Amino acid sequence: MVNITVRNVTKIFKSRNKTVVALNNVDLEVKSGEAFGIVGPSGAGKTTLMRIIAGLEVPTSGEVLFDNEVVSKDGKIIVPPEKRNIGMVFQNWALYPNMTAFDNIAFPLRNQKLPEDEIRKKVKEIAEILGISHVLSHYPRELSGGQQQRVALARALVKSPSVLILDEPFSNLDASLRDGARALVKKLQETFKVTTLIVSHDPADIFSIATRVAVLVDGKIEQMGSPLDVYNNPKSLTIAKLVGEIITGKGVVTTVNGKKVIKYGNLIFQPAFEIPANDSEEVEFGLRPEDVKISKDEKLEGFEFAGKVIVKVSSYSGGAFRIVVSPIENEEIELYALSDIPMKVGDVVNFFYRKDKLKVFPVK
Amino acid sequence: MASRVGPIAKAVLKELVIIILVVIWLIPVYAIIINGFKSNVAVVSTNALMPALPFTLTAYQEAWSALAQPLLNSLALVLPVSILSSILGALGAYYLNNLTRSFNPRDRIIGNIIFALVSLGTFLPYQATLMPLAILMVTINLLGTYWGLLIAYLTFYLPTGALLMSIFIATVPSYLIEAAKMDGASDFNIFFKVVLPVTMPGFISTLIFIIIESWNNFFLPLVLVTNPNSALVSVAVRYFTGGFGTLYNASFAAAVLASLIPLVIFIFLGRYFIRGLLALGGGAKI
Amino acid sequence: MERKSVWFVIPVLVFSGILMYLIGWNLYYSFTDWSIIHPSWKFVGFETYAEVIFSTTFKLSFLHSIEISAFMVAAGNLMGLLLAGLLFSIKSNSYRIGLMSIFVYPLAISMAANGLIFLWLFNPMIGINPILGKLHLPQPSWLTQDTLYSIMLVMLWAYSGLSMLFYLASFMNIDRSIIEAAYIDGASYFKIFWKILVPNSMNGFIVSTALLFLFSFRVFTLPYILTGTPISYYAETLLTYQYFLFGSSYFAQSAVVNTIVVIIALAVVVPYAMLGMKRWVYGQ
Repeated sequence: MVNITVRNVTKIFKSRNKTVVALNNVDLEVKSGEAFGIVGPSGAGKTTLMRIIAGLEVPTSGEVLFDNEVVSKDGKIIVPPEKRNIGMVFQNWALYPNMTAFDNIAFPLRNQKLPEDEIRKKVKEIAEILGISHVLSHYPRELSGGQQQRVALARALVKSPSVLILDEPFSNLDASLRDGARALVKKLQETFKVTTLIVSHDPADIFSIATRVAVLVDGKIEQMGSPLDVYNNPKSLTIAKLVGEIITGKGVVTTVNGKKVIKYGNLIFQPAFEIPANDSEEVEFGLRPEDVKISKDEKLEGFEFAGKVIVKVSSYSGGAFRIVVSPIENEEIELYALSDIPMKVGDVVNFFYRKDKLKVFPVK
Repeated sequence: MASRVGPIAKAVLKELVIIILVVIWLIPVYAIIINGFKSNVAVVSTNALMPALPFTLTAYQEAWSALAQPLLNSLALVLPVSILSSILGALGAYYLNNLTRSFNPRDRIIGNIIFALVSLGTFLPYQATLMPLAILMVTINLLGTYWGLLIAYLTFYLPTGALLMSIFIATVPSYLIEAAKMDGASDFNIFFKVVLPVTMPGFISTLIFIIIESWNNFFLPLVLVTNPNSALVSVAVRYFTGGFGTLYNASFAAAVLASLIPLVIFIFLGRYFIRGLLALGGGAKI
Repeated sequence: MERKSVWFVIPVLVFSGILMYLIGWNLYYSFTDWSIIHPSWKFVGFETYAEVIFSTTFKLSFLHSIEISAFMVAAGNLMGLLLAGLLFSIKSNSYRIGLMSIFVYPLAISMAANGLIFLWLFNPMIGINPILGKLHLPQPSWLTQDTLYSIMLVMLWAYSGLSMLFYLASFMNIDRSIIEAAYIDGASYFKIFWKILVPNSMNGFIVSTALLFLFSFRVFTLPYILTGTPISYYAETLLTYQYFLFGSSYFAQSAVVNTIVVIIALAVVVPYAMLGMKRWVYGQ
C-alpha cells in the first residue's frame, strides 16, 4: 500500500483560442491504506487531478510521488501508468466488449504473464467476493449495470493494486443500486486496505466511503478534512452545497435587543457565534435540511423559532415531503424545508431551526 | 380533390424516376452478361441490348482459356497485398492514433505529418509516379517479378490501409485504451487484444476495399508486368478489343470473368466495401 | 508508447518513403533534359518545363483533364445530391440499401471492364446510337471526336454513387427531430430537401467535391481503353500524356507532367486531409 503525495501541481490546458487553468497549485497527501475523496463541481478539475495521479495526464508543473518516488514531474511522466500498479474503475467501467467477464478480469494478470491456473484461481476468488461468479462467461453487453460495475471492480482489485482509483463510480448506476454498491466498495476497501482515491460530485459517495475529503473548486483545494467536518463546518456556501443539501437565503444583518441577528423577511436567525459582518450588510445563511423543521406547534425542543411562514408548494422528493415556504411578510422570497407529513398550500406554519447548526457566510 | 391525387401521383412519379435510374445503372451489367452468351455473329449483328438467342457458351470458353492464368496471377498477388496492407497499415494507424492522442505536442506534430503522408499515398494519382517506379524496378532488377510487383502494390495500398484504419481506430474510445494501459498491457497486447478486435468491422472493410481496388488496378500491371504469362486479369481483358473498338462476344465474357470476383464480393460483403468508401470521407456512418 | 513500438509504424514509413522518393525523382528529373535524344542528360533549369507547357499536346491534355474534372465535380455533385435525396426519402431500410448497392456497384468493377462495356454501347452500329436515332435524338460520335463526352458520361455513371454516399451520410447526421418537426408542420419532402437537407450538407459537399476531383483527375484507364491506343487527340489527358512521353523515352518531359500532376493533387489532398478529415475524425 502506498501513500500518494501531490506537490504544488498545476495543470494548464492550452487550446487555439483559450487557456484553461484546470489545477492551480494543488497540494495533498493520501496516507497508505486511506480512503480519500475528492469532491467538487463538474469541471472543477477533480477528473484532471485524478488522471494526473493515475498517469493518464501530465502535470504542467509540480510533482506526484508514490511512496516518495517521483512518478510525474513538470511535464514529464517518469513512471508510466502501466507501471504504477493502479487499479482503476472508470466512470463507464471501460470493460473490453470483445472479452467475457472472466477474460476482462484476467486481463491484468495475463499481462503480468502469470501461469494460467494461478490466474483462474485469482479470478474465481475475486469473483466470489464480488458475487459475480455466475456471470463470468458472459460478455459485458449481456450484463446489468450493477454486474458490469462489479466486474470493473474485480478487474481493478484482482492484481492486488497499490492504489485503487474510482472515477464517479456510481453515477452510471440506477439510483436504487447505489447504496448497495457503496456498501460493497466500503467493505472491499476495508478488507483489502488498499489506498483508495474516490472522485465524485455526489456527496453520498464520499460520505459512505472516504475518511478524508478534499473539496476542489475552480482548480484549488478550498477545504480538506473528514467528511463530517466539512459537512458541519464548510468554509463557504459553495463548499456547503457540494457536500450536501443546504437550505439557504440572503439576509440582512440588524440589531435586535442589542444582539446582531439576520433578518430574512419576517424571519429572525441568530447563530451561536458572532456574525462576521456589520449592521445592514448582506449575508448568506445556510441550514442543513435536518436542522430545519416546520410545524404548527408553538415550541419545538432543541430548535429556535424563526418566524411564521406560509406554505407555497407541497411536493415529494427522495423520501420526504419538500415544502416550499415564504415568510408571511415577504411572499417573493422562498425557503424550503423537509417534512415527514404533507402540508396544505396556504397554511401558516412556524419555521424552526437549530441555532448551533446555522452557517453564516459574508457576501463578497 | 387535389390533396387526394397529389400524394399518389407523387409516389408514382418517384417510383418511375427510381425505375428509370435503376435501369440506366444496370444496363451495362445487363449488356455484358447477355452479350457474353451470344455467338460472335449475333454480337455484331444484333443490338447490344437484345437478349441472347441462340444461347451459346463459346465466348466464355474462349475467354476462360485466355484468362484462367491471369485470374490465378491476380489472386496470388491481391491476397497478400490486401492482407499485408491491412495489417501493417493497421499497426501504423494504431501508432499514429497514439501519437495524435498524446499530450506531448511534438508527438501530435509527428502524427500530423504521418497522416498527411498516408493521405498523399492514398489520393495521389499514382500513375504520375510509375515512371520512376518502373525505372527503380529495373535498377534493382525486380521489374516484372512477383516481388517487384508486390512492393509496387504495397507502396500505394499500404498507405490506403493505414489511412482507412486510422479513421476506424479513431473511433475507439480513449478509456478502453487507458484501461488497458492501467491493466499493464504492452502496446502489442493493446493492439491485438483490444484495439483490433474492437475495430474488426473496420478492419474487414479495409481488407475488402483493398481487395477490390487492387484487383481492379489497371495501370500498375500495365507498366510493371513484362511477361505475358504473368499478366493480371485487369490488364489481360484489354486484349479482347482489337484496335479501334472492334469487339466480339468473347470481350463481354472476358469482362464478366475479370469482374466476377470483385462483383461477387460486392454482392455478399458490399456493406464493408461501402464502409471503406465512407472512411475515405472521414468515416461517416450510413 | 513504448520505445520499441516504433516498429508498428516502420512499414508505413518505409513505403511512404518510397513514395516520397518517387515524387522527388520526378521533381529532380523535371529540371533535366533527359530523353531518347539526350541520353546523357544535364540540368537545364526550367527549359523542359517551358518546352512541355507550351506544347500543344500538353495544353490539350491539360484542358481535357480540367474539363473532365470540372464536369465530374459539378455533375457528380448534382447527381449525387439528387440520388441521395431520392434514397433518403425511402422508408424501407432494405430497399434503400438495395438501391444504394445498385448505384455504387460500378466502383467495384475495373474501369477496364467498364470501358469495354461502354465501347460496345457506344458502338455506332449496335450500341445505343441506333436507339437514339429512332427516338430522333442526336447521335454523337462517341468514340471519335466526342470521346471526351463518352468518358465523362461513363465516369458520371461510375462515380455518382460515391457522391451519393457522402450526401446520404450527411443527411443521416442531421438531427432527426428537426426533420420530424418539419413534417409535422406540413412541409413536403421537396421543401425539407431544399430547406433542411441541402443546407446542412456542407460536410458531404466538401468530401464529395474533393473525392470527385481526385478520382476524376486520376483517370487513365478509361481514355486508354475507349480510344484503344495510347495516344488519341480527342481524349488525351495529363496522365495518358505522361505515359506516352514515358513510353517514347522522353523522361524529363514526362517528369515535368508528373510533377505538375502531383502539385495539383497536393493542392487538393493536403487541405482535404488536414482540415477536413483530421478535424472530423480527431476533432481537432
